[in-house]
Amino acid sequence: MKPGNQDSRRQHGWTGWLFASPWVVGFLALIVYPFAASLYWSFCRYDLLSPPEFVGVENYARLSHEFVQGGRFGQAVWNTCYYAVVSVPLSIALGIGLAVLLSARIRGRAVFRTVFFLPTVIPVVATSVLWLWLLDPQSGFVNHALSWFGVPPQNWFKGVGEAAWPLHWGTESGGFGSKDALVLMSLWGVGNFMVIYMAALGDIPKTLYEAATLDGAGPARRFRHVTLPLLSPVIFFNLVMGMIQSVQAFTQVYIVSEGRGEPAGASLMLSLHLFLSAFQNLEMGYASAMAWILFVILLTATAVLFRTSRHWVHYQGER
Amino acid sequence: MRRCLLFLTALLFAIPLILMVSSSLKPADQLATDPYSIWPDSFAWSNYAEALRALPFLRYLRNSLVLCLGSVLGTVSSCSLVAYSLARLKWRGRDVVFAVIIGTMLLPWHVTMIPRFLLLRELGLYNSLAALIAPTFLGDAFFIFLLRQFFRTIPEELSEAARLDGLSEWGIFWRIVLPLSKPALFTVALFQFIASWNDFSGPLLYLSDPHQFPLAYGLERFISSYSDQTHLLLAAATMFTLPIVILFFLTQRTFIQGIAATGLK
Repeated sequence: MKPGNQDSRRQHGWTGWLFASPWVVGFLALIVYPFAASLYWSFCRYDLLSPPEFVGVENYARLSHEFVQGGRFGQAVWNTCYYAVVSVPLSIALGIGLAVLLSARIRGRAVFRTVFFLPTVIPVVATSVLWLWLLDPQSGFVNHALSWFGVPPQNWFKGVGEAAWPLHWGTESGGFGSKDALVLMSLWGVGNFMVIYMAALGDIPKTLYEAATLDGAGPARRFRHVTLPLLSPVIFFNLVMGMIQSVQAFTQVYIVSEGRGEPAGASLMLSLHLFLSAFQNLEMGYASAMAWILFVILLTATAVLFRTSRHWVHYQGER
Repeated sequence: MRRCLLFLTALLFAIPLILMVSSSLKPADQLATDPYSIWPDSFAWSNYAEALRALPFLRYLRNSLVLCLGSVLGTVSSCSLVAYSLARLKWRGRDVVFAVIIGTMLLPWHVTMIPRFLLLRELGLYNSLAALIAPTFLGDAFFIFLLRQFFRTIPEELSEAARLDGLSEWGIFWRIVLPLSKPALFTVALFQFIASWNDFSGPLLYLSDPHQFPLAYGLERFISSYSDQTHLLLAAATMFTLPIVILFFLTQRTFIQGIAATGLK
């Protein structure tokens, strides 16, 4: 670096911090302080009415007990994992599918794109009302449409079924339940992912496909060996962001489950359980401990994804 | 084959919305006896009038607009300042600050929720829209990132020339960089407007007085008390959704480019 550059690096010192000051204040007040406070409170009994009282690891012990015994917390962990593990891969697959379908030059492409994207701009409150009605077990349109294909009525938001869990297949709990309904809702909002994949597909050089065709690769092999590797950075991005978002899903969960995780706790996600523990039961310490466990789980999962990404994510320009 | 598949999928995606709008116009008795037909027997616009009367729609709308416009003002002003600092000024620690900002995007809200709530309550903001607006004046990581990327594309020579002419940094920011960044500022304003319009958990946490409720939250309260009046629910949900859909159609390009850009950086 030239010495002149060194000087200019310093020239805006105070001005730089001054311009950045809104964020600095926000970072200290809304992130650093809350993280410190919630870490401390997670070792306290704190009901807002009296000052926090230090109780050591009591909250964490209670959480691990509930996890092992299948209490509310254990149920919430299972529900959250189920929702994330089912909805994220399906959303990615559907997003890629739609983007590939729309990648050809066909008439009405813009119209199709709008139709697929439109659900993502509908406010979540409205989406939840809409799907509560469409998925009503008695009079909902979806069960009606399923009956045309001979599918028996499903309980959706009113049921505890977990259709994606193989152990339930063929049993009472094998039908579509409340979490499956939430997954369906999330799939309806797949337009964001689709748009990102469309942009990424547009960036793949045409010459790669031509070269693959010359080498005798059919459409399936071109997809497997050209499209997928070149999309892998975006898939990875959506995997990480999708996981973080699905774990944080709150509004739709709150609305469809009557704000309580109904029925029978089948829709009780971690974020809802945490909210209810804090603001309904006034167990701030217990809720803070739960928040930290959730944070650590998310960090670990992100780190694991980053580690595995070395083996399957291909960045163009490397190698 | 591809067209056929596309058409079928598009139909699946469109049906919920079509049903929502068409059923919101069905007379209540038709909705009860014949819920599956697409076309209303007669257009019951009275559903809308009734929904408007059943919930204080205009007051909720006013609150929503205060919330949205206040948040847009807060986000655009704070994020553009911070982004300018990161993109156009050279100072020690800048790169660290930028990395930290990016890192905060991955933090879940769960950990900060309780202390943040108690802090804002301490400041006397509980049960006031200000609790939802004030934090937007302290920047948002995602929007700062978006604006920074845009500011970096403005030629540095413009700033250098202005500096030689004796313009202060504030002058360069205000008179040169901001006017050139209208598209990016518009994208940020649009996304923040929609986020505030849709926000449900914020009002749920901070507002208890129905006079303060914005539409998203007021509508949910309405749902829980009118759950058997489907025609009114659908009319209210349609009215709540319509402004956003219109906004989307007016700004579709900005919208979709904005989303696509987030995934490719």
